[in-house]
Amino acid sequence: MEALKKSMSTDERQIQVRFVTKQEKYALPEAPFSIPCGIKADLLSVLVNNLLRETRETGWEEVEFDFLVCGEFVRLPLAEHLKLKDINTEVTIDIEYLERFPAPEPEDSLNHDDWVSASHCFKDWILTGSYDNTLHIWKTDGSHKTTIPGHCGPIKGVRWIEITGSLATFASVSHDQTVMIWTVDLETYAVERVHIGRGHERSIECVDVDKNSSFLATGGWDHMLKIWAATSDSVLTTEIDDGENHKLSTVNSGKSLRRTPLMTLPGHKEAISSVVWTESNEIFSSSWDHTIKLWDAELGGLKSEIVGNKSFFCVSYSSLNQTLVSASADRHVRLYDARSQEGSVVKSTFTSHVGWVSTVCWSTTHERLFISGGHDNILKLWDSRSPNAPLYDMVGHEGKILCADWSNPSLMVSGATDNTLKIFRSQA
Amino acid sequence: MATASKSAKRRYEIVENKGNSEDVDDIIEAQVSDNADDSTDEESSEYSGLEDDEEDDSGDEEDESAWEEASDEDEEDDDEEQDMSTNEDSEDDSEDKVAPTAVPIEQVESSTTAEEPAKPVEDEYAYDSSDEEDLRNTVGNIPMNWYDEYPHIGYDLEGKPILKPKRGDEIDNFLRKMENPESWRTVYDPQTGQDVVLSNEDVELIKNVMGSRIPDGSYNPYEPWVDWFTNEVMETPVTGRPEHKRSFIPSRIEAMKVGRMVHAIKMGWMKPRVPKDTSVERHKYYLMWNADDKSEDVRRIENPIPAPKPRLPGHAESYNPPPEYAFSDREIAQWNRLADTPYQRKFPFVPKRFSSLRAVPAYDRFARERFVRCLDLYLCPRAKKMRLTIQPEDLVPQLPKPRDLQPFPTVCSMIFKGHKGLVRTISHDPSGQFLISGSDDQTLKVWEVATGRCFKTFEVKGTVRCVSWCPNSAIALVAAAVDNNVYLINPGVGDRLVQAKTDEILKEMPAQTDYLIPQRVRAVLTWNEPDKEQWASGFRVILTHFKAVKHVAWHSKGDYFSSVMPEGDNRSVLIHQLSRRRSQLPFSKSKGLVQCTLFHPLRPYLFVATQRHVRVYNLLKQELTKKLITGAKWISSLAVHPGGDNVLVGTHDRRLCWFDLDLSTKPYQALRHHGQGIRAVAFHKRYPLFASGSDDCSAIVSHGMVYNDLLKNPTIVPLKKLRGHDKFDDFGVFDVLFHPTQPWLFTSGADGTIRLYT
Repeated sequence: MEALKKSMSTDERQIQVRFVTKQEKYALPEAPFSIPCGIKADLLSVLVNNLLRETRETGWEEVEFDFLVCGEFVRLPLAEHLKLKDINTEVTIDIEYLERFPAPEPEDSLNHDDWVSASHCFKDWILTGSYDNTLHIWKTDGSHKTTIPGHCGPIKGVRWIEITGSLATFASVSHDQTVMIWTVDLETYAVERVHIGRGHERSIECVDVDKNSSFLATGGWDHMLKIWAATSDSVLTTEIDDGENHKLSTVNSGKSLRRTPLMTLPGHKEAISSVVWTESNEIFSSSWDHTIKLWDAELGGLKSEIVGNKSFFCVSYSSLNQTLVSASADRHVRLYDARSQEGSVVKSTFTSHVGWVSTVCWSTTHERLFISGGHDNILKLWDSRSPNAPLYDMVGHEGKILCADWSNPSLMVSGATDNTLKIFRSQA
Repeated sequence: MATASKSAKRRYEIVENKGNSEDVDDIIEAQVSDNADDSTDEESSEYSGLEDDEEDDSGDEEDESAWEEASDEDEEDDDEEQDMSTNEDSEDDSEDKVAPTAVPIEQVESSTTAEEPAKPVEDEYAYDSSDEEDLRNTVGNIPMNWYDEYPHIGYDLEGKPILKPKRGDEIDNFLRKMENPESWRTVYDPQTGQDVVLSNEDVELIKNVMGSRIPDGSYNPYEPWVDWFTNEVMETPVTGRPEHKRSFIPSRIEAMKVGRMVHAIKMGWMKPRVPKDTSVERHKYYLMWNADDKSEDVRRIENPIPAPKPRLPGHAESYNPPPEYAFSDREIAQWNRLADTPYQRKFPFVPKRFSSLRAVPAYDRFARERFVRCLDLYLCPRAKKMRLTIQPEDLVPQLPKPRDLQPFPTVCSMIFKGHKGLVRTISHDPSGQFLISGSDDQTLKVWEVATGRCFKTFEVKGTVRCVSWCPNSAIALVAAAVDNNVYLINPGVGDRLVQAKTDEILKEMPAQTDYLIPQRVRAVLTWNEPDKEQWASGFRVILTHFKAVKHVAWHSKGDYFSSVMPEGDNRSVLIHQLSRRRSQLPFSKSKGLVQCTLFHPLRPYLFVATQRHVRVYNLLKQELTKKLITGAKWISSLAVHPGGDNVLVGTHDRRLCWFDLDLSTKPYQALRHHGQGIRAVAFHKRYPLFASGSDDCSAIVSHGMVYNDLLKNPTIVPLKKLRGHDKFDDFGVFDVLFHPTQPWLFTSGADGTIRLYT
């Protein structure tokens, strides 16, 4: 309060502002205020809190606010922000305020024997893959449930397929060029390898499941995007298989674990680094050949392409706002509009990492929030309205972050080369 | 005396009567025309022939007149004679009177006693033309019978009618004829209507003409013959021989002379004499004290600089300076203080007041100041010297800015840590997913590029000098030079099928039934099978050499590879064929310490770098194709452009030489950007980039664009110096390597790390 008064008392240049909000409970009367132009977001927050306290007679609890001017968070002193945005300070400026996204809190650190290169949350279960060729299942409370050996190469991607009752299926891909589908009984933790998918000629980098949990898409160093049946029962496989079907069906009827891809989509010229299955049965695949390609998963054709100028390491798609964020071989996170036709236009660039960004992941509940992890050991929480500064830096890792996941809206997990998986609890 | 005065008087009259004196011809003509019908007159009939002649010879008038002049002169002489003779025979004076010329009869009659007979010496040219024939009558050339009925015969110059003279009747005329002895020589002038008495000369003339003789009576056609040109031989002959023909033909010698001159003029040897330029008046003297504002006209100096002007005196120099210029005590103190350095003083003198100019004493520094001024003038620059100003920057060719040449590696993105010794060598797998490094800690490590993970470690016994991943993606093999051995190792990463196939191929030695290993090769090398333990750890084939192997290089097809033993003398280079397990020694002679060999990426050539030269051998023809002269003392490394026509050579004496094989065997460009010897050079397979790593712990990335156009030389632009490695034992960067597909650079250093720059 003193700081506010102090800053008010100094004879700085004043600017006319009007506070607006979309959150009903914090609404203020629409009267313009004259505030010093050098004010920062924290003081603005204090100011708005005071105003709210005056309007509400009952007891008022302090709320942290964030302020948006012209669709961007105020991170600098207000005058500088306005100057950067090239806004005339003579007129009354609308400042939108909203409750600040609460800081995620570090919850747990799950220790592995080797680098944690893949992770996926589903409800209370965390599935991780490690460079020591093992998969691990954890509960969100930090208890290690089981270790699953089976792969003979470092795991590069894991994905829960579905959990029905106590039976869960998940897929894992590895350097050993196989994709494996497993079932696990979540009470006894008895794990069974249902299928081994062979077809990739080099190490597989990524895996994703479609929304119906019936297909898997994988991509790897053989530049191919392959689609597999995700179901654990072999019937569907034989039904769908049409190409090399005859031989395959006999194999499947012979209760073999083996499974071959339903579809192979060639097109990339370099390793595929990540695949994302959208709601509308399309696949985004990012590659080292500087492109993100959009495939039609049903027809198996290339629909469109986004060309960048760096190798892409990770891409994430948000079904809430139909945009893509990508991590590439530099320190920027780039936001693309998946719907736009011109495709390759970078809508905004998020710069705060100091090393390569290795992974990005959209929030499944907030349409503007995503996390990114990089080789600078920091997991960052971003709001798409704040391109120059992240909302929060989540420090804790002591090695390069290799994977991050925010599938469970309340949990952000990240695995790194320090052999740990860190769990941050998201408050919202 | 009387005769003299008479003659003078007569001359006067002649001048007076010039107008009256008539051309004889006219008179005659008039007479003839008048008496045309009078055929009875014998004499007049005689004239008719004359008239015809006259008319025919009208064009000869001039000649005639000339001739007349001559005759006049003769007449004059005659006059003289006659004058002289008058004294002697004055009795026939009367005859003399009329004899000289035609005089109007009245005049004759009236002045017979008073005047001497007029001998007109007339200038007939005065009225030479036919237009102004007889100016006494202005009627012109008309038939005079038109005036028969008038009392006058025409008009004189004043326009007054000329009255016909009274002519008596025929009897009177007859009587007068009878009485007058001169009547036979009297003719009628139809123009004036008067009778004219012909002189003796006239009569003579007429007679001559009528007698077909030469009219000039004085001309002697029978003069004695003077034989100017005789047939006699004379001592100094004057010949009448006509001029010889050659005197009319131009001279041949002169023609040659002229020809030579013409040639000389054409060639510019001979120049026409420059006419003296009289327009520019050369100053013999010039104004010494020229106006100050004009530039000095100094003939010796072109473009002279006017001499610096001396400072004009100010108020301080005045003999009566204003009081403020007078020195105050402080100023005087300062003046005295600066006695040692007088040039720092404000003035070279102390301003003083004098009551009058008279009282000003002599200036003691005058001579010195003049001298200093002269020195200044002597030492000042006198002429502007035009110098060619070339900035060093202008000589440097225009290179594109590095910013425009992106992408190229700029920042260190990853450090591969794990080796405990110097990492001497690195190599990547064909896809760029993995990297293998060889170190002095006697290990080889396989790294995943994307994460920096060490996948595998191979223990070897000895320092790893060189590793090279087989470029054929159908074979998973790495060749590593360790001490005397070359290990072929299956790295166990990448495509499993390929790994298995490779193992299958290498499992059994192909049968060497029909092939006998040459003695020379057998002494150098043996192909060994690894034992079980080694096989399990990845070793597939071991080639044991007789000397330490420093370098291995694969052919792009992946079947052949070469190994280099610098100490092997003439057996230092070996080429091995993997599929048949055979080796050959391509060279029989030692050309020096071989540093490394490389295969041409496209054609069957082998690059062999010795200490000073790089030799290019054609492997098919088995001959030397080129010898690249680096000019360096010690070549350290070699790299061939993927196009095959450009070679990079790094040397220990800090030089990086770019050779364009199509251009020359000398370096196209030599770059000296490193502070210490270069250890490694590398080309990028796709991007126009090359890099060099040096002992100064830095790697330099440069842009090296090679054009398909043969006329266009490669563009070389140094882009970025990448630092990061630490120095260890005076070693910095050992190896540089580009990622096969991305614009990324790997460097391995003496500090045991490998760095990835992106």
